[in-house]
Amino acid sequence: MSALTGGALLPNTDEYGRVLEFLHHEAELLDTYRFADWLELFTDDVAYSMPVRTTQFLTDGEGFHEFGFFVDDHATLMTRVKRLETEFAWAETPPSRTRHYVSNLRLERAAEGPELEARINFMVTRTRQDLDYQMFTGVRRDLLVPDGDAYKVRRRTILVDQTVITATNLSVLF
Amino acid sequence: MSTTAPRPATARLSNGEAIADLARAEEGLISRRIFADPEVYALEQERIFARGWFFIGHESEIPEPGDLVTRSCGIDPVILVRDDEGVVRVFLNSCRHRGMRVCRTDRENASFLRCPYHGWAYKNDGRLMTAAAEEHYEEGELDKPNLGLIPVAKHDSYQGLIFATWDPEAPDLDDFLGDMKYYLDIIVGRTGGVEVLGPPQVWDVETGWKFATDNFTDNFHVFSAHHSLVELGMLPNDPDFASHGHMIVAEEGHILHLTGGAPTEEYELFGLPHELRAQIPDHLTPEQVEMARRTAYSAGTVWPNFHWLQLMSSGTIGQRDVPFLNFRLEVPISPTRTRMWSWLAVDRDASPEFRKATYETYARTFGPAGIYDQDDMENWEDCTRAALGPAAKQHTLHHTMGIAREIDESWPGPGRAYADAYGEMTQRSWYAAWRTYMTREHRGDAGPAGEVTA
Repeated sequence: MSALTGGALLPNTDEYGRVLEFLHHEAELLDTYRFADWLELFTDDVAYSMPVRTTQFLTDGEGFHEFGFFVDDHATLMTRVKRLETEFAWAETPPSRTRHYVSNLRLERAAEGPELEARINFMVTRTRQDLDYQMFTGVRRDLLVPDGDAYKVRRRTILVDQTVITATNLSVLF
Repeated sequence: MSTTAPRPATARLSNGEAIADLARAEEGLISRRIFADPEVYALEQERIFARGWFFIGHESEIPEPGDLVTRSCGIDPVILVRDDEGVVRVFLNSCRHRGMRVCRTDRENASFLRCPYHGWAYKNDGRLMTAAAEEHYEEGELDKPNLGLIPVAKHDSYQGLIFATWDPEAPDLDDFLGDMKYYLDIIVGRTGGVEVLGPPQVWDVETGWKFATDNFTDNFHVFSAHHSLVELGMLPNDPDFASHGHMIVAEEGHILHLTGGAPTEEYELFGLPHELRAQIPDHLTPEQVEMARRTAYSAGTVWPNFHWLQLMSSGTIGQRDVPFLNFRLEVPISPTRTRMWSWLAVDRDASPEFRKATYETYARTFGPAGIYDQDDMENWEDCTRAALGPAAKQHTLHHTMGIAREIDESWPGPGRAYADAYGEMTQRSWYAAWRTYMTREHRGDAGPAGEVTA
């Protein structure tokens, strides 16, 4: 998960604005239940993961592990989306109300080729039925491939802040 | 030991209800009061969580001297550590001085554990090495040899599974597991041993712990609770598809099922890769091998809250089912909140390819992000919320399926077996064990836990 070496792109660049717009568009798709459209934003060879995290001393690293809550590829993400489209995915039927917040965008070019790495802080809030909020925060590292005026996500690594997920489940998408 | 439990008069709630009447296991009628009620929960802490045997971790999680993980024994926080001599130990995670947690990570390697508060330092075998400002204690004021970390009363392992208890009068683990060892051998001893991959997934669910526990040996919820997978063609469109097999109840409340899958060779022997299947006859008896041959799915509970799930599933439409072995534990945090622990285990001799495939399948289908498990948590939480009110607490839940089911006398294994993988025989036996624990003031007041005689 080391940073790319092609140099940073600053907020005053067109590229930074296009990436920010792409990320906001994606968040809107998720929060308005347009999951099939959301899936279009990923490359066929996407790797989508959320590593398990443990509490440990900083000298032992940040606590992320090879094994994840999510270890998905495109076909798995498609399965999740199609499941949400059934009437029987009880964890999301009736659906949660989510809000995906994206901030602190840091953008870097790949050393070679057109790819970009976008690092963001994320916050996802979720409430369902008559229940209190559940919240997920962390860092998302996306490897983006230019696709016309927009992008596709080739790799997404979701680095959660919690070691114990204080939520019913992870039936929301990140 | 008698098989009829005398009911101590003290086993009553403050409203006069007898605990024994809350779990009428022989009739399959379980009071909703037991699932989220603070008074019942308080009694469970004393009578179950201070007395039972609890899963702490797997030996493969602490392979090297000094390796440790922090867990719970019952509901008390413990350190599971392999000391410098290689001996596995389990201690209350609390300093003898002011009670501060001496280990505050999930895992580390340490020869010494130093309390942050005043600096009391313990060797990883539990001995107190140095206290704070020792020169200020007069002779006899600090009894260091007797101020080591507080060990559990007993701990032991079976097939790499480490269990512990706070009760010095508890039977030894070997006796407690009893007939269940025969079935644990089939699941975790089939190829000579398993190991867990990575740290457990841990998450907190707003449920009374028993709603989760109740779910594990329940096969017939799958068609409804996981119907989204039926819709997607990832489960058979047949309400009876997981009904072919046996449910087995053992003494002490241990329960399991062994369930067949599609009638093809692919679904025999848990669907394991052929190189692992080939090892099974070296580790099991021919009768155990035959049970394994007919099994694609199995779930079992070592009473009260440790489970295995040996399943075959796919997290992806159109891809073939892959087997995985999941260990589960529910640790109550409050009457309505439970910490879920989930490990993926794999046969020690598994190939790198199978390790990757089995972990991916597990994570995609079970654990909080799993497309099966997600819906289970939804059910447990809503069951809990609906059990909170005074009206609900006057009613029972129904565990009556198969109440007249005949024991399969031809079953070659230990325990009482029923030739049907749909039924509530296992849950009734579990609740009978719960009643036994909850109604005895002292261990030994009642007969073996889990005797369902009706």
